[in-house]
Amino acid sequence: MREIANAGVIPMTGPVEPEISPTLRAAAIVVVVGVVSGIIALTSGGYWLSNFTQAYCMTLAVLGCALLYGQLGLVSLCQWALVGVGAWVSLRVYHYIHPPFFVTILSGGIGATVIGVIWGLPALRMRGLYLALVTLMLAGAFQVLVAVISFPVGGPGFLGQVGASGNDRINMARPIFASSDTSYFLFVALITLLCIFLVEIHRRSKPGRAWALIRKNEQMAAAAGIRIVFYKAWAFALSGFIAGVGGALLAGLFGQLDQTAFPTTTSIVIFIGMLLGGFEVWLGAFLGGILTRFVPALLIDLNVNTNAGFMIFGAALLFALRDPLGLGGQLTLLAERLYLKFQGKRAS
Amino acid sequence: MIKIDALTVQFGGIKPLDALNAEFTAPICGLIGPNGAGKTTLLNVLSGFVTPVKGTIWLNDSRLLGLSPRRRVELGLRRTFQQELVVDELTAAENIQAIADHVSANSADARREIGAAIDFVGLGARRQTRGRQLNLFERRMVEVAKTLIGRPKVILMDEPGAGLNEAETERLRRLLADIPSAFEAQLVLIDHDADLIAAVCMETLVLDFGKRLAMGPTRAVLDDPVVRRAYLGRE
Repeated sequence: MREIANAGVIPMTGPVEPEISPTLRAAAIVVVVGVVSGIIALTSGGYWLSNFTQAYCMTLAVLGCALLYGQLGLVSLCQWALVGVGAWVSLRVYHYIHPPFFVTILSGGIGATVIGVIWGLPALRMRGLYLALVTLMLAGAFQVLVAVISFPVGGPGFLGQVGASGNDRINMARPIFASSDTSYFLFVALITLLCIFLVEIHRRSKPGRAWALIRKNEQMAAAAGIRIVFYKAWAFALSGFIAGVGGALLAGLFGQLDQTAFPTTTSIVIFIGMLLGGFEVWLGAFLGGILTRFVPALLIDLNVNTNAGFMIFGAALLFALRDPLGLGGQLTLLAERLYLKFQGKRAS
Repeated sequence: MIKIDALTVQFGGIKPLDALNAEFTAPICGLIGPNGAGKTTLLNVLSGFVTPVKGTIWLNDSRLLGLSPRRRVELGLRRTFQQELVVDELTAAENIQAIADHVSANSADARREIGAAIDFVGLGARRQTRGRQLNLFERRMVEVAKTLIGRPKVILMDEPGAGLNEAETERLRRLLADIPSAFEAQLVLIDHDADLIAAVCMETLVLDFGKRLAMGPTRAVLDDPVVRRAYLGRE
């Protein structure tokens, strides 16, 4: 390429959109998650602390769901099943070799990554309603499978089951530094924060740009030299990994899990939570995840049938459809405007 | 240089391209024809999105047919689409960076090429502006800049001037005319604007119902009575 000397330089005019620096955005993530988690840890105990810990695990599922939908427009209705896969694998690994807790979490993430990629294979050929139905059926298949094999509880063999009395059941131990409910909640909050950063780094680097082009137009992306299959598989792998980590954390919370913990309907609730929270910003997944657990927990606390939660989510969804930004998107937009206005005033 | 031999595309009983022979040798070539003539189909065959039933295509010394779209990109083929496809959430620079991620040799080359492309299309002041804030002309410029990354050999542009006003088309015309010398790339231009084709293209292929109606120096082709009757609707 020879030197270009003003070959076609055409001066452009127009307002330049002020930008918020990546460092400030990162600081905002730490502050918001830190403050919310701090308030929960200081004010909650017992029932609510357990529910908020579960909510953070759900946040991880919503985060993966938002990654697929927000970045690639792919509807995945098997996120909660992937959480279940992560939980199963982490319990299996824990009872088999009793590794350090971080390794247990990692094993859950890797297990769900592998399954996530396999389950994502249909996405290479289909999208929209068909993909949604296929992933929903996969979630249903997992529910049936786990009802048969259940979760490992320290027994012999691959399935790790114990006798009918169940007296020999062994709980997964939490790490020493997070043995209390409060410290475990803060540990889960820290892992959630790391997972949010993992997704944000992806969104703002090469994979994120490739996903953006694929979402815009697959032919255009292919004509740009982007490996469509590879990057879609990458998104499913990352989404599965995060969900799997959530599953491992959930297993750590309760020590053991049973087959009723992963109903197919929860995957739909997670998708609705993602739409309510918003799929374009991390805050959407964070708020969406908390909402999906907070509402049922509140209904239980108020002695109301938890099925009423579906009605509440359904009604809220009507509003969400009118505002694709979601709660998290609106709050982010408001915060950005306030910050830029403040900066503008300071500059003038 | 692109050489097309006996290229036939068939969709059911329809042949959008029928035993087409053509050779694009000039630095800027035009491709015109009435709606449904097979222009975009030809671009889709060149890009690897449509598989022909017969024929061969050469890009310089490489046979294109049978290669994946990605492999064709590696050979230096670039293209734009009729519809501008700038991603709203990415900045102008990020839209171009998204291409450089996959076609530039390394990150240093990517930075240099992005800078050169942005300067060339005159988007320097708008490089950090989000796609949603760019006007149509600026978005078209981003599309042009995307094709200039990674040492392109042949750039296919499908109606790059669609929707632009007269002044903007004039700017685009000057820009396109400079691409072969600035980037050592051949440009194949599809457009309905005969004035734009006449102004920048040295040679032009005219398609009609998937067949070659005429090919040669642009002025001669546009003055051909057969072309004028079929394409321009007047003699």
